[in-house]
Amino acid sequence: MNQFVELLISGLSLGFVYALIALGFVIIFKATRVVNFAHGSILLLGAYVVARTHGSLGFAGAVLAGVLAAALCAVIVQLVILRRLRGATTDTLTIVTIGIDILLATELTRRIGTKVLNIGDPWRDHVVHLGSFSVPSARVAAAVVAILVLAAFTAAFKYSDWGVAMRSAAEDAEGAALMGIRLGRVAAGAWAVAGALAALGGVFFTTFPTPGVQATVGLSALTAFPAAILGGLDSVTGAVVGGLIIGVVTTMTSGYQDHIAFLGRGLGDVVPYVVMVLVLLWRPSGLFGTKEVTRV
Amino acid sequence: MSDRSRTLTRLGWVAMWAALLLTPLFLEQFWEQAGLFAMASIIGAIGLTILTGTTGQLSLAHAFYVAVGAYGYCYFAGHKTVGVESVAGLGLPPVLALVLAVLLAGVAGALFSPISARLRGIYLGIASIGLVFIGQHILFNATGLTGGFNGRDAQPFGLAGFQFQQGSPDITVNGIEFGELEKLWYLGLALVALSYWYARNIVRGRPGRALESVRDSEVAAAVMGVDVARYKAAVFILSSMYAGLAGVLMALVFGRIVPNTFGFPLSVDFLVMIVLGGLGSIRGAALGAIFVSVLPRALDHFSGSLPLVSDAGGGGLQPSQAARLVYGAAIIAVLLYLPGGLAGIRRRLRRDSDPDDPVQQPTGGPRLPSHDLKETAT
Amino acid sequence: MPTLTEEGVNGLTDAVLHVRDLSVRYAGAVRALDGVSISVTEGSVVAVLGGNGAGKSTLLRAISGTLGLQGGAVEGGEVTFRGQDLRGRDPGTVVRSGIVQVPEGRRIFGELTVEENLRAGGLSVRDRGARSRARDRVFELFPRLEERHRQRAALLSGGEQQMLAIGRALMSEPELLLLDEPSLGLAPKVVDRIGEVVREINGQGTSVILVEQNAAMALAVADQAYVLEVGRVSLSGTAAELADTSEVRERYLGIPGGDTDDRPHPPHAPAPSADSANGRPAIRELDVEALTVRFGGITALSDVAFRVEPGSVHAVIGPNGAGKSTCLNVLTGVYAPTSGTVRYGDKVLTGLRPHRIARLGVSRTFQNIALSPAATVADNLLLGRHRLSRAGFLSTGFGLPGARRERKREQGRVAEVAGLVHLDAQLQRPVAELPYGDRKRVELGRALCADPALLLLDEPVAGMNPDESEQMSQTIANVRAELGISVVLVEHDMAFVMRLADHVTVLDFGERIADGTPAEVQQDPAVLRAYLGGSPDSQEAAG
Repeated sequence: MNQFVELLISGLSLGFVYALIALGFVIIFKATRVVNFAHGSILLLGAYVVARTHGSLGFAGAVLAGVLAAALCAVIVQLVILRRLRGATTDTLTIVTIGIDILLATELTRRIGTKVLNIGDPWRDHVVHLGSFSVPSARVAAAVVAILVLAAFTAAFKYSDWGVAMRSAAEDAEGAALMGIRLGRVAAGAWAVAGALAALGGVFFTTFPTPGVQATVGLSALTAFPAAILGGLDSVTGAVVGGLIIGVVTTMTSGYQDHIAFLGRGLGDVVPYVVMVLVLLWRPSGLFGTKEVTRV
Repeated sequence: MSDRSRTLTRLGWVAMWAALLLTPLFLEQFWEQAGLFAMASIIGAIGLTILTGTTGQLSLAHAFYVAVGAYGYCYFAGHKTVGVESVAGLGLPPVLALVLAVLLAGVAGALFSPISARLRGIYLGIASIGLVFIGQHILFNATGLTGGFNGRDAQPFGLAGFQFQQGSPDITVNGIEFGELEKLWYLGLALVALSYWYARNIVRGRPGRALESVRDSEVAAAVMGVDVARYKAAVFILSSMYAGLAGVLMALVFGRIVPNTFGFPLSVDFLVMIVLGGLGSIRGAALGAIFVSVLPRALDHFSGSLPLVSDAGGGGLQPSQAARLVYGAAIIAVLLYLPGGLAGIRRRLRRDSDPDDPVQQPTGGPRLPSHDLKETAT
Repeated sequence: MPTLTEEGVNGLTDAVLHVRDLSVRYAGAVRALDGVSISVTEGSVVAVLGGNGAGKSTLLRAISGTLGLQGGAVEGGEVTFRGQDLRGRDPGTVVRSGIVQVPEGRRIFGELTVEENLRAGGLSVRDRGARSRARDRVFELFPRLEERHRQRAALLSGGEQQMLAIGRALMSEPELLLLDEPSLGLAPKVVDRIGEVVREINGQGTSVILVEQNAAMALAVADQAYVLEVGRVSLSGTAAELADTSEVRERYLGIPGGDTDDRPHPPHAPAPSADSANGRPAIRELDVEALTVRFGGITALSDVAFRVEPGSVHAVIGPNGAGKSTCLNVLTGVYAPTSGTVRYGDKVLTGLRPHRIARLGVSRTFQNIALSPAATVADNLLLGRHRLSRAGFLSTGFGLPGARRERKREQGRVAEVAGLVHLDAQLQRPVAELPYGDRKRVELGRALCADPALLLLDEPVAGMNPDESEQMSQTIANVRAELGISVVLVEHDMAFVMRLADHVTVLDFGERIADGTPAEVQQDPAVLRAYLGGSPDSQEAAG
């Protein structure tokens, strides 16, 4: 029982990190109908900048630098490459992001090499004792920060001008353009926010109990893909719920590894995809996604 | 097309095939291996372009089906071994094993069709990624069949007593000993020719038209009598069988297969091949496959003589990394500047030289499914 | 261009908006506007009339800067607003210079609340005080919106949604308001109300371009009017003058002229029989019984019934949004009805999947053209032969003799049909290169290639010029005469329908409001009301 609750808590906190990353996918998809395959690399860029700068800027300054770098990188991708392809199908744009991912990931891998960089976070390997349960401090911090950020995002999405513009453009881009909403700015803003969220996710993705910033972090961040898809690619709620589901399921699977040994080692890495496929079989547009409408 | 240009095209084909047939007499082993890997890629890419380009079904599961073909062949053709690396095997004749492995990939494709029939566009694309990760998990853990992390050996090919393995029988042509790679080269060529020809027939024939109509408008296709669900399932199976055949060839070329070969990056490679080549074009898929599969090897090979590129561990840009950068940049550049892909270049050239050519590049063209089902202008 | 008054063209001095000699093309191939000139004087209402595909929406897009979003581009001519060149401006800049468009089909943001929709409309205004003043004015104009300001916009009724769409556009306090078919799919009373709203808005000093198919309403509120036909201005003048011309009366007001009897072929009912030599299925009667279709809360068809006699041409007409296309979609199995049945001979079509229905010999065309653009005309027509041919993955892939023979045979049949629809010369060209009218003929050809016993045509002449339309009408008459098949025709062009149809069913708001011979239907008061779009008063105003 104790183990179950501990796993649940740490699963939920990991889930919030996934939610931050998945939310990035969703925001970009909503605003520009692009599935951003470069998201993992942008996340890695953010984490890398934090790892490189925390010595001189301090942890908080480094996080700020990482968030800015990732946001800037995302905006550059949108403005320099994707905007030129106006009129291309959204899936062509999606494949362009694969190309961008390859460039970014290669360069970052070259810089990082086989090293494991320390993110310089204040929580290190401390553990918080909540009653009889112990949870890594970094995970608690992750959950707290993620909840605050998600709340702030939700509020902005719901109440600010930016949020109204985003939601209008997401629902009907042409209709929004006719109202004078500048789609280019909405798109750039969405990419910036998604990049910032990815960097933040990257920070908590590389704190204890994970070893630190490695070249493979970008790829493992792809686990947020199933989270975004099973929640529904165009749903903010879906991203959070999907993230939590994936966080809990992976943590539980790894935690109870011994009980399900017959399913093989490393099941925690696969189980997000299994859950995703099962959910999609039941609901082809995810839990909260909008159904595609066929018109003739 | 005028008679003259038709003759020229024919001559071109003859010359190309003649060159391909004579190649093993000149090439070093390294290039033979690269060429064989390119052949396997061509077969796989053709399968994917029929699925994604012609039918508009985005799939990133191709690596999984390639793995099914590769491991299927090793299982059917391999012999049961016991010891440190005990793996199961049926010890069937290699030709039969090849056919069975391709069929097995088809069956695996059919098993996914309940999902592929329900999902559309990017949802299908990402659901199919799931298949790759699940497949990897199985490859790592079903050690009795796959050999796990260390992989398993592929039984050398043989055809009715004619063994492909070194030295049985010895053939020497022009002073060059015909080893396994040289023999595989001809097997590969035959398989590529067969795959290419079959795909061309399909795409130009009744099934191809039905598939294209499914891509362009499922409703219109259904109303014209096309059983959309059945065709979607059929094309998924066909594409998986192509992938399976590619896998068999890869297993034969590598001699030993390991799970890491068949990960998500391989799926992305296949997608990039067909996009670079020009979606829906069989020839484009072949060109894209050659580009993507040979590029990293070539850069690796010439790393000593290229500026900026240094050998592994040299501190500078490693050849594999240089290849990745060129590769990434090529994807972006082609999509930005060559909407029709590599196949589009040729079409454009031909259009310039032959203005009456009716088969010019249309503005519509094969596209991946779009999410916006917008009506066109009034 | 027959200009009834010179004022519209020469009144350059007091005009706020000038469109001069404008040509627009979509995706390289389709020319949507061809030398269109229009001007709007300060404080006036200008109506732009025309059928589907005439280029009305394209004109508005060229002004509002949204052509690019649809793959269109200005080829020539100019658009100026208060002396500023609008070409190449993005929509955001156009809005900020004082022009706002209310798009066709309202396109409110359904997931947003009424209040948020209005807020979205005012985002281009920086001054918060101005925004809230604008909102108060909108609520004053549409008290209903204030009552429901917290509701999700998708829950509003069609009329309320139109009010919201107009209100949303007014939030940026435009000097020129572009309205794209505001009466589309709305009940006559609501349409009247929209006419009043346009007057009120105009009364407050906003100039308006009103694009409409409902000519009666548009001409009643407009000062100037233009008629677009196939991308050209075919008529222009004051609204009153235009309402008096016979073209407008006949074509857009639905008031019959004297020449409805010159049908190309007198109706004749050939004996319905199975022509088994041709492989053509027997021609049976089609029975639509108590058909109801709902999408969410919207009822697209309500208890509709009609019968298509074997070998007859049966027209289904009605204003945009009346449920005509929905009806075709149910007949072909694309939509499943909420209730009701469709019988074809002794077969029940409802519940069958589309390809099963196709195999019974039911074939159709699409209003919005659903061809494979990259494929040649021949390949598109060959798709029509799909249900009648066999070659599968094995025989085609391995080039077996059976598949080769079949291909030869089918190509022969395709060539015959191509002759019938005058596409012989275009067979090897990709559809993407063809002009619009030819694509429409490919649609018809593809449907005919399936050797149908029942042919469903969804607006076969929408967007065609009179010559093309005439040719299409001949072709359909020939097809019917030679093959004796049944034809269900959904159309807007009244003259076209009256020439061809044996029997007419009229839909409005998803309900059958009339059914009978063309002559009977034309006299029906309900039909006149539906087409004239208003109360008897507004009919008189128009007529």
